[in-house]
Amino acid sequence: MPTAQAPKRVLILGGTGYIGPHLVEHALSRGHTVTLFNRGQTKPGLFPNVEKLIGDRSKPNGHSALKGRQWDVVYDIPTGTPQWIVDAAAVLKGNVGQYVYVSSTAAYKDFTASFPTEESPAQDPAPIDGPDAASAAYGPRKVRCEMLVRAAYATATIVRPGLIVGPGDLTDRFTYWPVRIERGGEILAPGTLDDPAQWIDVRDLTEWMVRLGETSTGGTFNAVGPRTVCGIGELLYGVKACFSNDAHFTWVPQTFLTAQKVRSWGDMPVWSYAGASTVAFCTSVIEKAVAAGLTFRTLEDTVRSAMQWYHSRPAAEQEKLRAGISPEREREVLALWHASQGGSR
Amino acid sequence: MTVDRREFIKSAALLGGAMSVGLPSLSQALTAHGVRPWAYRPETGDVQPQPLRILILGGTGFIGPYQVQYALDRKHSVTLFNRGKTNSTLFPKVPRLIGDRNLPDGHDALRKGSWDVVIDNPTANPTWVRGAGEALKGRVGHYMFVSTISVFSDNSKPLDENGPLNAPSDIDAPFNAQTYGRNKVRCESEAKNQFGDNVTIVRPGLIVGPGDLSDRFSYWPVRIDKGGEILAPGTPNDPVQYVDAQDLCQWIVRLAESRTMGIFNATGPKTPTTIAEMLYGIKAVTTSNATFTWVPAEFLAQKQVRAWSDMPVWVPPMGPTAGFARVNCNKAYNAGLTFRPLADTAKDTLTWYHGRPAAEQEKARAGLAPDKEKTVLAEWHAKQGS
Repeated sequence: MPTAQAPKRVLILGGTGYIGPHLVEHALSRGHTVTLFNRGQTKPGLFPNVEKLIGDRSKPNGHSALKGRQWDVVYDIPTGTPQWIVDAAAVLKGNVGQYVYVSSTAAYKDFTASFPTEESPAQDPAPIDGPDAASAAYGPRKVRCEMLVRAAYATATIVRPGLIVGPGDLTDRFTYWPVRIERGGEILAPGTLDDPAQWIDVRDLTEWMVRLGETSTGGTFNAVGPRTVCGIGELLYGVKACFSNDAHFTWVPQTFLTAQKVRSWGDMPVWSYAGASTVAFCTSVIEKAVAAGLTFRTLEDTVRSAMQWYHSRPAAEQEKLRAGISPEREREVLALWHASQGGSR
Repeated sequence: MTVDRREFIKSAALLGGAMSVGLPSLSQALTAHGVRPWAYRPETGDVQPQPLRILILGGTGFIGPYQVQYALDRKHSVTLFNRGKTNSTLFPKVPRLIGDRNLPDGHDALRKGSWDVVIDNPTANPTWVRGAGEALKGRVGHYMFVSTISVFSDNSKPLDENGPLNAPSDIDAPFNAQTYGRNKVRCESEAKNQFGDNVTIVRPGLIVGPGDLSDRFSYWPVRIDKGGEILAPGTPNDPVQYVDAQDLCQWIVRLAESRTMGIFNATGPKTPTTIAEMLYGIKAVTTSNATFTWVPAEFLAQKQVRAWSDMPVWVPPMGPTAGFARVNCNKAYNAGLTFRPLADTAKDTLTWYHGRPAAEQEKARAGLAPDKEKTVLAEWHAKQGS
């Protein structure tokens, strides 16, 4: 990876969770100077040679370690609390060139509407404080954060990722599929081949975020993949191509799954369908991000990296995935489906 | 056949140091051929097989080099027999007997020496089998003939090894694309005439991967890698079958090791696979912006888009070809035929293809021409009113 022509002074708020380390690594590999700001509690041994400032953003004066410093680009990764943006801006406003905020496609008002663009209506913003602030939903809080960022910084970059996948993803939402397919046998596959599916490899996302900093690109961007409109069939068949076993798919219609309370996203990860309350997450329009330099690895790369990471986890974690239908329930639903089809397979 | 250790050492010495073939020279030779060298990866838990003396007829074309490499990796001694014309620099340390099987005395070089097994790769002429059988009489323990699933006369339903065969050609029928299946039937029966019960007949389907000059499978990785809207044939659920040359050839060598006789249909993958699985599986190894437009078989036929040659790997799963891509290969699977992931086949094929001379790359021997693809897609969209 060639280093950037003009190295930047980069401040990363958080930086030690799931996507942060990928961002730090890529920024360093591009020759930027990185400062981390966090509580010093999550993975404190990470990046021993990187400057670390300590603060707890949920505390009054929690951002004071950032006082009197200047950075070219700030990346705010973990924030879903508007007050954190307010408190960070009180210290950083006027001292940073660009503020990149990681929002979410959950910012969109109507999750059941397909193909949201950056112009699609957003949620009503959550209050910053007051009695309703704490109970506000994720989407409205993200929208309030976005507004605060835009108001505070001349170059504000709002990145709205969909499902972020790959090495380090503790939600198992994408990982369910490679793990399930690697196990082989008859696999419950949801809906039809063309039902929408979207995801983004955490490395594609973070590498692009570094480039957005290098080019001082402001604006709001949906950030998900793959490059082309994608169906769940493309995902499952692409994952299957990475293995050689007896895995085979039984495609069960959405109506049957719904009747069996097999849900899009939670039980059948990545998958959505027209009108579902998850469809906005699987159909985001990404032309703006692509024009601003978002690129994509091969699916094979994502699958192999995710599996390499998965197999390095403790056995207990590998056994108990945090997303996807359980093996017992999958067998049950498949049996019910075959019975409904007259018992023939 | 067990090989007496002293006999083995003696023959190995006679074979001019075949046992000392090293990977570096092989790598060079393979690179010259356009095939990427690959590392020796003995299967986990695999015991070293009893070393065999293997005679390979042909051995320098598409599939032969995979057999040679794998046999050498597994410490067998290999002799090649061919005209010395195709890829003649391949395997410089492997002893080579020269002969042109089209000539009356073409097999004379085989009249001395003995082998545990002979693998006959290139033969579609029954007289070649007869020539090899007469020349080798009594001096080989096992004859393996690479036949084809084109021996079957009826593709309307899934067939196992006992399916009906084409009428055999005459013994002296020359190679002819039109009578290929009939020739192979006659070759199979001639193999039994010459070698009795010690015969293995392997009937592959479409053999794919690096080195395939027919471009039949390669069309898809190359087309998908190019990107854009792609004409995809039939329905996403139409069945396809293919076998990676590496998988096929390694299995053939293992059949030799286990002295497994009989007839085997040999294509894959092991679980029924659809054209959509194949196309999306290939796409998964690219960063392409390819999208597929599925056009029904009837429309393709109207527009003279031919199954198999224009739309490689695919035939309409109906009528006389309903069983073509559903050949029953359970016997081969039970006898140890295994499959690499499609991703590996697709990547290796693309790498190999891009290493070929530019002129060859431009002139693909199978698949729809780009202009024709655009025209048919436009006509299909017009018909759909979109």
